[in-house]
Amino acid sequence: MAKTDPITLAVVQGMLESTQREMTLTIEKTSRSSVFNIARDYSNALFLGSGEMILQGQDIPIHLGSLMPALRTVAAYFGDDIHPGDVFYHNDPAWSGSHIVDCCMYKPVFYQDELVFWTVSKGHVTDIGGPVPAGYNPEAKEIYAEGLRIPPLKIRDRGVERRDVVNFILTNVRSRRLQAGDMRAQLAAVTIGERNLIGLLEKYGKDMVMACMAELLDLAEHQMRTFISAIPDGTYHGKSVLEDAGHGYGDIEIAATVEIAGDSMAVSLSSPPQIPYFINSYAANSLSGVYLGVMMFAQLPPPYNEGLYRPITVDVGPEGTLTNAKEPAPHANCTTTPSESITDAVRMALEQALPEKAVASWGHSNGLNIAGQDYRSGEEYVSMILATIISGGGASHKTDGWPAVGPQCCFGALTSGDIEILEYQYPIIIHRYGLMTDSGGAGKLRGGSGTHWEVEPLHDPMTVVMFGEGRRYPAQGALGAVSKLCEPKVGRALYYKKDGSVEEIKTNRIAEIEPGERFANQNPGGGGVGDSRERDRDKVLEDVRNGFVSIQAAWEEYGVRIEDDTQRDRPYAVRTQEKYLAGK
Amino acid sequence: MSQHAYRLGIDTGGTFTDFILASAGEGIRLYKTPSTPHDPPRAVREGLEQIGADLGCSVADFLRDCDLVILGTTVGVNALIEHKGAKTGLFCTAGHEDSLEIRLGHKEDGHRYDADFPQATMLVPRALRFPVEERVLSTGEVRVPLNEADVRRGIRRFREEGVEAVAISLVWSFLHPEHERRIAELVRAEMPRTYITLSVDLLPQIREYTRTSTTVMNAYIGPLIQQYVERMEGLLRDLGYDNPVRYMQSNGGLTSGRFLADKGIYALNSGPAAGPNAGLFFHDGKEHDGDRPRDIITVDMGGTSFDISLSKDGKTNIVKDVDFLRYRIGIPMLQVETLGAGGGSIAFVNRMGLLQVGPESAGAQPGPATYGQGGQRPTVTDALVVLGYLNQEALLGGRLRIDAEAARRVIAAEIADPLKLDIERAAQGIFTLVNSNMVSGIRRVSIERGYDPRDFMMVVGGGAGPAHAGRLASELGIPTILIPKVSSAFCAFGEILADMKHSYLSSSAVRLDAMDYAHLNDTFAAMEMQGRHDLGSAGVAADAITISRSLDMRYVDQVHECQVDIPLEDLSASNIDAIAEAFHARHEELFTYCERDNAVEIMNLESTVVGKVARPQLPPLASGTPDPAPAQSGERPAFFEENNAFVTTPVYDGAQLLVSNVVVGPAIIEEITTSIVVFPDWQVRLDNPGVYVMTVRE
Repeated sequence: MAKTDPITLAVVQGMLESTQREMTLTIEKTSRSSVFNIARDYSNALFLGSGEMILQGQDIPIHLGSLMPALRTVAAYFGDDIHPGDVFYHNDPAWSGSHIVDCCMYKPVFYQDELVFWTVSKGHVTDIGGPVPAGYNPEAKEIYAEGLRIPPLKIRDRGVERRDVVNFILTNVRSRRLQAGDMRAQLAAVTIGERNLIGLLEKYGKDMVMACMAELLDLAEHQMRTFISAIPDGTYHGKSVLEDAGHGYGDIEIAATVEIAGDSMAVSLSSPPQIPYFINSYAANSLSGVYLGVMMFAQLPPPYNEGLYRPITVDVGPEGTLTNAKEPAPHANCTTTPSESITDAVRMALEQALPEKAVASWGHSNGLNIAGQDYRSGEEYVSMILATIISGGGASHKTDGWPAVGPQCCFGALTSGDIEILEYQYPIIIHRYGLMTDSGGAGKLRGGSGTHWEVEPLHDPMTVVMFGEGRRYPAQGALGAVSKLCEPKVGRALYYKKDGSVEEIKTNRIAEIEPGERFANQNPGGGGVGDSRERDRDKVLEDVRNGFVSIQAAWEEYGVRIEDDTQRDRPYAVRTQEKYLAGK
Repeated sequence: MSQHAYRLGIDTGGTFTDFILASAGEGIRLYKTPSTPHDPPRAVREGLEQIGADLGCSVADFLRDCDLVILGTTVGVNALIEHKGAKTGLFCTAGHEDSLEIRLGHKEDGHRYDADFPQATMLVPRALRFPVEERVLSTGEVRVPLNEADVRRGIRRFREEGVEAVAISLVWSFLHPEHERRIAELVRAEMPRTYITLSVDLLPQIREYTRTSTTVMNAYIGPLIQQYVERMEGLLRDLGYDNPVRYMQSNGGLTSGRFLADKGIYALNSGPAAGPNAGLFFHDGKEHDGDRPRDIITVDMGGTSFDISLSKDGKTNIVKDVDFLRYRIGIPMLQVETLGAGGGSIAFVNRMGLLQVGPESAGAQPGPATYGQGGQRPTVTDALVVLGYLNQEALLGGRLRIDAEAARRVIAAEIADPLKLDIERAAQGIFTLVNSNMVSGIRRVSIERGYDPRDFMMVVGGGAGPAHAGRLASELGIPTILIPKVSSAFCAFGEILADMKHSYLSSSAVRLDAMDYAHLNDTFAAMEMQGRHDLGSAGVAADAITISRSLDMRYVDQVHECQVDIPLEDLSASNIDAIAEAFHARHEELFTYCERDNAVEIMNLESTVVGKVARPQLPPLASGTPDPAPAQSGERPAFFEENNAFVTTPVYDGAQLLVSNVVVGPAIIEEITTSIVVFPDWQVRLDNPGVYVMTVRE
């Protein structure tokens, strides 16, 4: 093998990163599904021909762990039947996917007749067929009832599109036009990735490039081992509660055990048996939840490659349990719920192990999909509105949690989209997209505020589909941060009906609302860090002034008494918020 | 000397304020004074006095002979960096007062797992964002009329709080501007001295967050820009100057103080935006062979940063809707990609054990170790000294001493030892890596936007740029490099060449198969009438004004647009197909494919109104034969990758080189404020109007 030098190594790493960035830019600018192009719910990655991930972008953590087993599963399925010009497509969790709305495209990169790299682009599509628009069917008892399952498929064979296969996929989904546009965008991304990697091989030669790849993996591994070595050896336990969001199976406990031995870490999960409700997590998705919990502590700067995970072994629990589901378990909600609870359990265990790096949990996802008929075009529309799941971020030792940056499983990678763009794309009025008073977890460092997103359909009725949880238990704080006023810190939906009544909803439900009615989704805030009584008094006053903390909470959670006549100075926003809460 | 013989450009940068004085008789003179960030006019006054002393006349004497004084400023950028803008209040639609703080719910890439990375500082904290009851829908229908009682309460609050500037940005306001206008009326009546910005005046285009953020930024820095304009014009008037003063804008053109008075944000990042003007001037002016297209990549490498821009057919990419210093800005700006890669960029071994250069910079203080001002961390400049590319004793014509041993020492301690390399190899590594970062930045503005850098010439500015340019060009396959003798005052030079340029924006979402031609044509006409009026009242003659148009277009269901230039003629059924085709072609160029059978829609309209400014005439330089030998000032060992060793390299004095002299690599040319490295594969010829033309060796 060629001998690398530090300079070439750094240059090659830079070229990998710019390749991945070009792929990302292509997806963002050209895709059609708003979950892709507005919300950035996608990941692009580069793999070696051998199946090791050599670069993951800074995209969403949901895909942190799931891309690696997925690529290897697809490659293994096709075995020798992989040729230049082929492109593969896949979504199924039983074949190592995350959830079926995340569709992934894989392009093998050949150089001098040898499979050297793979370029991979995965993203959340608008719809994947099945009985409920946008793919989240809370009624599904089996995965077969959730939508189109795509096992590893070849969609281009030696450079020629397999029209029958692509047509089969598009025929099974609601938003054919958007989906076709998204597939073209993904194809452009993996093709641009291929072009750049071939450029890299031509410039440095295959031997040198491969030597650099091996070394970059080793360097990442070393970085993770250094982090783990700083943790005292021992066995640490963490647990989280996955709340019953309406399925009737009761609250579910997920436990994580983290064993540290020298520079290695072993994580094992335990959870009850899978249930006939869409919150089961297949193995690849659980891996993402675990890795996010680790990365919250490791806090490593980019770049990221598979070397990071070499020192970590993960046991996602016995097959057939909630965190290692098998067919026919329904799963559509898994990337948020229970993924975030898995992350929490790992985080709690690591908080015991490494309190000096503890960070609080972020708000969990609970959001809305919308669907209906667009009176302007006569066409059906359906969309996951990611603005509805933007929760508050958790605090760290040094900074308050960011407002509106979650949910935890996306860790700031999403964007919620401009409200005018959303109102232009869909026949809706967004009456409010704002932050909520007292929603951030109390703490010496406060959790970030959650969001309130309120919609009214224009002209025709609209279906809203709720998903997620975090509506009963607030995001967990760290290092003794406890919130006393829990109700403002959890999520909920509020249904403002025509007759003037307001219904508070805390369980996942499908509703049809009419013009003149409104549906609001409130997202939880993030957790705080440290004892809230130690919070700097001036910061509490500033929070009250800005309406992030109420006068009541200043007293009850922070022990700061504020004279009531400052009330008149409080912004209108705060009173609006109080009105909503009072109305429930 | 005839009246109006001079044109004066003054660019206030972070470290230096640069002055370029150009005239037909005397050519280009370059001056520098240290910047005075908290009192910019002081550095300007000092510079003017320096010029007067050099010319042997009073400041008033030569100012009277200037036809234009052009200013580039960092006042706006500094206020944003230091969060020292005006105390600003925001009126917004009830329910949407937090869009500024939600920032689309995104945390910047590069910080995904950085738990301590703080939120962006709010230019308007939540307590000063005042929601008013009103609502316009996407159809333009008024769903909720404006509640004036809310506005009055807000005004009361703002007065109590001592608000100095008021931003007004309502949802869908550009479809129904009346609510914003009424709020402004009420504010003006009660707060007559307050600076007011309306989103419908500044950025009447779709995207509430972008529009609100831009409006807030303008209100925040506007009063400072206004004050700057008043002080500079006062200073120049007091010094005896009574011709027009012009200001450089981020869109690459000039404007008047009056225009900036309520649109200060147009001057936000003005210096770097002057780069392409300078680049095109040297491209056009050199005696090159044939009619090469005006396709250039302009790079400007100073002490702390590396600015890149790309011009195709003489036009520079414009960007809208981008984050600038963590704030979203929607007005058109020349696309200038800025990297933390300059002569002062610090090299270190990162946590992964990889060499890294920048973005942290040693700045002006302490500066590179080799300057002997206390710098202890190795910088790019230190590497250049070790490699022999810079003079080993002094720079700036002897004014700045060089400590070559200090450069070797810090590179040994911080880079060579930990990586187990020898010092030269470590210095070469720093040089290679910073070049690689710059190349990847250039890829971002070229390849990532659908342009092949091999089709472009590279024009190089900045004091540090000319030492690196050859390597960047080799890496990208660029065949020709232009290095102006004035590269170290590149922006100030670009400013004296700029035309007046105003951008007028409008929004009109419509599908190509459902066009309301009359409405679009009327919108263009109205914007252009306004443009003619604005430039006319700034003293631009009607026949010097030209207009160009563009549309932001996309496929239905995409959310990002491509900007497409269209001809200056009424839109109609007879030219719409050609416009659609231009869009398909642009999409394909950018993203490898297009979809001719899919529906296309227009989102935004833009008219650019340009007032031609006559360029200063420059005299030709003295010329000679190809032989450069008379200008050789010495030789020294310099390290070249190709030789993997130090080789004895001739050094030339730029001041002695004549037009037509050809210097073949390896060689070094020393100008007072910059050093040009001619790598072994390259050669360079001095050409008019004062530009080194570097090409691959014959």
